[in-house]
Amino acid sequence: MSQEIFPPRIRRWLFTTNHKEVGILYLVTSLFFFIAAGLLALTMRTQLSVPNNNVLNEGLYNQFVTVHGLLMIFWVLSPFAFGFANYIIPLQIGARDLAFPRLNAMSYWFYLFSGVAIIMSFIFGAPDLGWTLYSPQTSFQFTPTIGLNVGAAALILITVSITMSSVNFLVTMFKMRAPGMKLRNMPVFPWAILVTIFMMLYAFPSFLAAVLLLYVDRSFGTFYFSSIQGGALLWDNVFWFFGHPEVYIVLFPAIGLIADVIPTFTRRPLYGSKYVIASMIAAAIISFIVWGHHMFVTGIGLTSTKLYTVTTIAVSLPFDVMVIAMIETLIKARIKLKAAALFALGAIALFVIGGITGVYLASVALDHALRGTYFVVAHFHYIMVGGSIMGLIAGLYYWFPKITGRMYNEAIARIHFVISFIGFNILYFPMFLLLDMPRRIQTYAPDTGWGSLNSLATLGGFIFGGAQILLFLNLFLSQRRGPPSGPNPWDGWTLEWSLPSPVPAHDFDTIPTIAEDGTYRFGNGSSYPNGSARLDDSKVGNGLAYSHLEGMSPWPIVMAFAAFLFFLGLSIGQPTSPTPVSYKPFWPLIADGSILGVISLYGYSRERFSVHEETRVESWPFREVPNVKLGIWTFLGAEVIFFGVLIGAYFFVRTNSATWPAVGELFSIRNGFAMTLVLLTSSLTAIMALASAKIGSRRGLIAGLLATFGLGASFLYIKATEWIELGTHGVFSVANGLPATSYFITTGTHGVHVVAGMCMTVYLLANTLKGRYTKGDHDAIEHFGLYWHFVDIVWVFLFPLFYLI
Amino acid sequence: MAVVSNTQVIFDNLYGIFTDLAIVVGVIVFALMGYLIIRYRATRSSSDPEDTPRLGRIPTSRGHGRNVLITVTLSTFLLAVLIITSFAAVDTLFPNNPPNATWCYGIAAYNQTQVAGQSCPRLDVTGHQFYWVFRYPNNHTDLNLFRVPANSTVVLDVTSADVFHDFGIIQFKIKTDAIQGRTNTIWFIPYKTGNYTIQCFELCGTGHVGMIATLDVMPVPDFQLWYTSAK
Repeated sequence: MSQEIFPPRIRRWLFTTNHKEVGILYLVTSLFFFIAAGLLALTMRTQLSVPNNNVLNEGLYNQFVTVHGLLMIFWVLSPFAFGFANYIIPLQIGARDLAFPRLNAMSYWFYLFSGVAIIMSFIFGAPDLGWTLYSPQTSFQFTPTIGLNVGAAALILITVSITMSSVNFLVTMFKMRAPGMKLRNMPVFPWAILVTIFMMLYAFPSFLAAVLLLYVDRSFGTFYFSSIQGGALLWDNVFWFFGHPEVYIVLFPAIGLIADVIPTFTRRPLYGSKYVIASMIAAAIISFIVWGHHMFVTGIGLTSTKLYTVTTIAVSLPFDVMVIAMIETLIKARIKLKAAALFALGAIALFVIGGITGVYLASVALDHALRGTYFVVAHFHYIMVGGSIMGLIAGLYYWFPKITGRMYNEAIARIHFVISFIGFNILYFPMFLLLDMPRRIQTYAPDTGWGSLNSLATLGGFIFGGAQILLFLNLFLSQRRGPPSGPNPWDGWTLEWSLPSPVPAHDFDTIPTIAEDGTYRFGNGSSYPNGSARLDDSKVGNGLAYSHLEGMSPWPIVMAFAAFLFFLGLSIGQPTSPTPVSYKPFWPLIADGSILGVISLYGYSRERFSVHEETRVESWPFREVPNVKLGIWTFLGAEVIFFGVLIGAYFFVRTNSATWPAVGELFSIRNGFAMTLVLLTSSLTAIMALASAKIGSRRGLIAGLLATFGLGASFLYIKATEWIELGTHGVFSVANGLPATSYFITTGTHGVHVVAGMCMTVYLLANTLKGRYTKGDHDAIEHFGLYWHFVDIVWVFLFPLFYLI
Repeated sequence: MAVVSNTQVIFDNLYGIFTDLAIVVGVIVFALMGYLIIRYRATRSSSDPEDTPRLGRIPTSRGHGRNVLITVTLSTFLLAVLIITSFAAVDTLFPNNPPNATWCYGIAAYNQTQVAGQSCPRLDVTGHQFYWVFRYPNNHTDLNLFRVPANSTVVLDVTSADVFHDFGIIQFKIKTDAIQGRTNTIWFIPYKTGNYTIQCFELCGTGHVGMIATLDVMPVPDFQLWYTSAK
């Protein structure tokens, strides 16, 4: 594909794979969504400012409240943080880029297009039932608008983006740290991102499974969430299993950032940094066993609610340690109250209030009054705006000189802090006092007495929102005209400050080495013991330097656009009549997306793209595990959760159903047994293929791959006959309810995985015929094998679950 | 604040304990932060501490496990108080069999004489898009108006006919989710006659904002008169 049709300035941003440019794209885009979601919020605040107001009608209000929440959580908080992570983390750990630069660019474009999709959903009537998308209101019967389909498609796309991103960062941070940069030597920000990634890897597959089931329910008329046996509580469990870790996913990057900003401006090392990191890990683990506190009043039983009360209150202990550590850092310090420090300290103060009020909501007894009220709204805004956004703004001021090479106006930045902080509290504190008022209502009667506090909150909202104009003006004008900042304006210690500002395209001339005593040296033998970095732009270009126009690829954006078209086509179809239980997809867009997807996949795999595959650190348990392999292992970890949720959902509806077809009644055990045998054999042939590749036997490799393909095809053949037999005879159509729903969805998803594996064998066969893989370059065969065995193992679980019990 | 129901009293007491502790902790934390920031603010004459992190070197790790342990132990004590008081409150709010007050609803009619060991009959509350239906033990149903006698145990079985609702009596500080196919039970004893607001607390569609009902707590004789005539 000819990239040259675009002028260099545009090409640079469309096709870049450079971590710094992708980082800037993330930051700018997330700030754009921040403004969009903020304007939605201000419109809602205007509507709520006085009782019986009607500047925003209820239908639109509900759309605003939903899209505001979705945008802020998925399209602002995490991408904002990952903009910094993209730009800064490779610098802080001494890597040349992320492990998979093109995958990184693709994550960004999936993110952007998913954001376009969620905003586009307003055209079709945006989702209007709260960002938590509770069942059964999401089912076709109650929400026939296709805006929800588009919203769900947007969520699927962003989950794909986040999964790619987390695999990428995980491999980078485990495999590409500079020599001597042990994990424990990393600053707190990369640590926070690392912990966040692990939470993402285990939480998002649950969300993806939930949204996919919802999507299938709406598109094909299945019953997971529209049935009473599944319905509300199935969604609640699956959603909140993801939902609570998600809260920490959007919070931890900000905490890590604050923990690095505070030492820089207090001139003292973070107090108890290892305890801070240990606390993060502890909180991340506990975050997966507290989801029940979102379901205190769903009727999950007194004992469960008590257990969840204890785990939820316990999760405040690690946060306690983090906050105390930051405060203890101030002792005997030399505190410079620059804007970044003000925002960092302000964020901690607001987070403390959010944390304390979180303990109220952890108590099942109080939750019976506070659930669904403005007290909850106040609490999580103190965490997410007070803690996360204020913390991330600290990062914006902190790294602005590094990214742009210029200084912002400090006085305006400090005024920005003061107005933001005051406005924030006028906006959200009154909501604690509105503990009787239901959240997500468009208006209220005058005799409720909620009017004055709401007026106050609205006033605060405009003060807080208006203050952000100062931020954007300051940054926008400063990046053009601000005075040069020099490499290290804050006298910081982390590695990014050793580089010139802005950082040259290739980052380091020579990669740093960290000695046992903690000092770091650069490959040229020089060291920077006392804070004045000696690299500057004039010295860049010792042969390693490359321009921003190198290392570009058009395929990430094309592939993301293809996925966008595909899902849009699936989403905006017409409801089928006369009984509208599902949609007829819009095939032209699906076809366009598919064709474009195949082209870009082909282009992507054919493109000569050299990755800086420099594995430097050997850390258990990843010693001798190459990057790609670690990436695949990580991806399979996420897949385990994904299938775990599908199987969990099957168990859930089955245990809630009074009747279920007896063993052997619908599914022939013989069929199931045959499929198991076929698939297990194919695992053996995959192993044979690898063994042949290792000893350089091309014929053996071809035979192994062909056999694997053939066995996969046989499996699908038996599966297809079973599907057709069950489907066409009408005894077992989806309309029959949950047994069919769970069977078709679970085995269907597995079938798609088998098909994907067969596509891989075709690709591998084609390359084998060209003479690859048999000269010691058999990595790809091994990676395919890993995936294929995983798919087989999933079947080993599905076979007894569906056929034998 | 006026005492209106047993559930409101339980909530107010517990909320009071939480708020007292929150204020104590909050004041200590903010005072400490404020003091430290002012006390250790950089001045022209002050110089960087000895262990200032510098470029070119990983900062030396500092901090005592002892201090962390003290912090965690202190917090655990505070949190234990909150857990214990919460459990006590929730045990009162949600026993397996709600205790009978002086009176409770009877099967045929409202009666004063309670049978020992017999639990109160329950009323059915069903959420619909966008109204509440109340069904009394005598099968009388009311729409968006719920009459109960003062000082009697009222036990409700709450469910939904369609989407996810949440049944909340605002002034009584009590609520439970209304979910299709499930029944959630709550109970309360109203102490004071008058009108109270029942509202849906889960966004349930366009119309949610108007899903409001009135709880009418009546003097016992008035209620008896109404109940025997209601069919």
